[in-house]
Amino acid sequence: MTTTTSTSTSVVSFAHVSKSYGDVHAVADLSLELHPGETVALLGPNGAGKSSTLDLLLGLRGADSGAVRLFGTTPEQAIKDGRVGAMLQSGGLMEEVKVRELVKLACDLHPRPHPVEEVLDRAGIAQIADRTVNKLSGGQEQRVRFALATAGANDLIVLDEPTTGMDVTARQAFWATMREQAQQGRTVLFATHYLEEADAIADRVLVLHKGRLLADGTASEIKAKAGARRIAFDLEGAIDEGVLRELPFLTSFDVSGRTVRLQSTDADATVHALYGLSLYPRNLEVAGLGLEQAFVAITEAEEARTA
Amino acid sequence: MNTLIKLEITRTLRNKKFMFFSVIYPSALYLLISGSQNTTDKIGGTDLTFPAFFMVSMASFGAITAVLMGNSEKIAKEREKGWVRQLRLTALPGRGYVLAKIASAAVVTLPCIVVVFLVAATVKDVRFDAWQWLALTGAIWAGSLCFAALGVAIGYLASGDAVRPITMIIYFGLSILGGLWMPTTTFAPWLQSLAKWLPTHAYAALGQAIEAGNAPDAKDVAVLAAYFLLFAGGAAWLYRKDTLKA
Repeated sequence: MTTTTSTSTSVVSFAHVSKSYGDVHAVADLSLELHPGETVALLGPNGAGKSSTLDLLLGLRGADSGAVRLFGTTPEQAIKDGRVGAMLQSGGLMEEVKVRELVKLACDLHPRPHPVEEVLDRAGIAQIADRTVNKLSGGQEQRVRFALATAGANDLIVLDEPTTGMDVTARQAFWATMREQAQQGRTVLFATHYLEEADAIADRVLVLHKGRLLADGTASEIKAKAGARRIAFDLEGAIDEGVLRELPFLTSFDVSGRTVRLQSTDADATVHALYGLSLYPRNLEVAGLGLEQAFVAITEAEEARTA
Repeated sequence: MNTLIKLEITRTLRNKKFMFFSVIYPSALYLLISGSQNTTDKIGGTDLTFPAFFMVSMASFGAITAVLMGNSEKIAKEREKGWVRQLRLTALPGRGYVLAKIASAAVVTLPCIVVVFLVAATVKDVRFDAWQWLALTGAIWAGSLCFAALGVAIGYLASGDAVRPITMIIYFGLSILGGLWMPTTTFAPWLQSLAKWLPTHAYAALGQAIEAGNAPDAKDVAVLAAYFLLFAGGAAWLYRKDTLKA
């Protein structure tokens, strides 16, 4: 059976997993497989179902239907075996204790722990190890959470919006550490709503929207899919819509008054063809789509395809 | 698991305000209640004076206060802040969490009990044999663990603003019905037979048996042990099932 061989090699496996809260379909018929050594971004706007997906993956919530497996077993068992480390967006910290005490606790609870000092060092919190947890800044708290997630030799590291509250330098340092983890053969899965973060770090990107998996591919594939650019210009005199609609690579077309707004998967070629029509566009603007618009573009394409 | 237990105990000891008031409160209440009572009158049907009876009652009551109130509110808060979610992502078994909470509660109750005894012996001249003092301390301390487990379970059943009123209802209900404030002999017969099965009644009975110079009744020990298993098991189950999000 092919299914048994695929589950034994896959780190994470979702098979038709659904989860609703009342009328809200947080996760809808989600199927995916993560393989050893991959660095995967779970990309989606707020409310796309990223946190719900991670909750299901970690066994913090049960699925309404479908099966979630980690390393061929249940999430609970995988965690008990010390194979998974996780940093939650909303993971609180124990209060009234020192950073070192908390990290030591995480190390002691792990079946395959790293030395405490090493964990503190790697998370960049060695110099604040004697501070009380409730007196940390947001960015420092994130680093403590990261230390808790990497207290032992995990095979899978799950991070939910890990760089929230970090400044640019802290962000870069964080991702440098994360790359190190990935280079040691660990599977890293992180949720983010920053396209750039997914692009820079991940070698595979999963796009989630309204609880459904819209796209699954390399960062450049996703960018190409979401990479339509916006072109806007004004035209003097009568506008011949029929001619404009024939421009190459268009994905959307809109005229209001004298202003023409287009979306194109190859803006250079579209603009080149526009000048080829002997038109003189004024106030020409070419811009990339924002993430929100990119998602709309992908969603629309997906809906058109399935319709 | 031992690290968590140690850390929870350290945390509790560091919280000086909580420790101070938990320890002082039952003694103050004891002085208040026994202050007006004649020190030589005997309680109906026993050889015990009022100060001696109330000493055991207040030590038990104070221990319950500290563990029930302390545990339930702190746990509800930890759940809301997401610490419990984070802890569930470690290899810690559910019973480890519950045991750590019970252990940290036990650290508070021991001084609670000892201080009430010291006050009773020095201010109210309560006298017992050495073995009775030791047995009383041990029995009341061990019995308080049952309520520490109940506190953990309540912390899991309720959240937010509901924790305090729910804890209060359970706390006063169990204390009054179990006869910690007044002997249950004053209750209506049907209430008396119900009270016999409450953990607080069994708890108070442990101390009273020792005061009277007897060994605690096996039935009371069994009742307490059964409640302990029920509360602790329930708390561990709720810990694993908890889905509250921060």
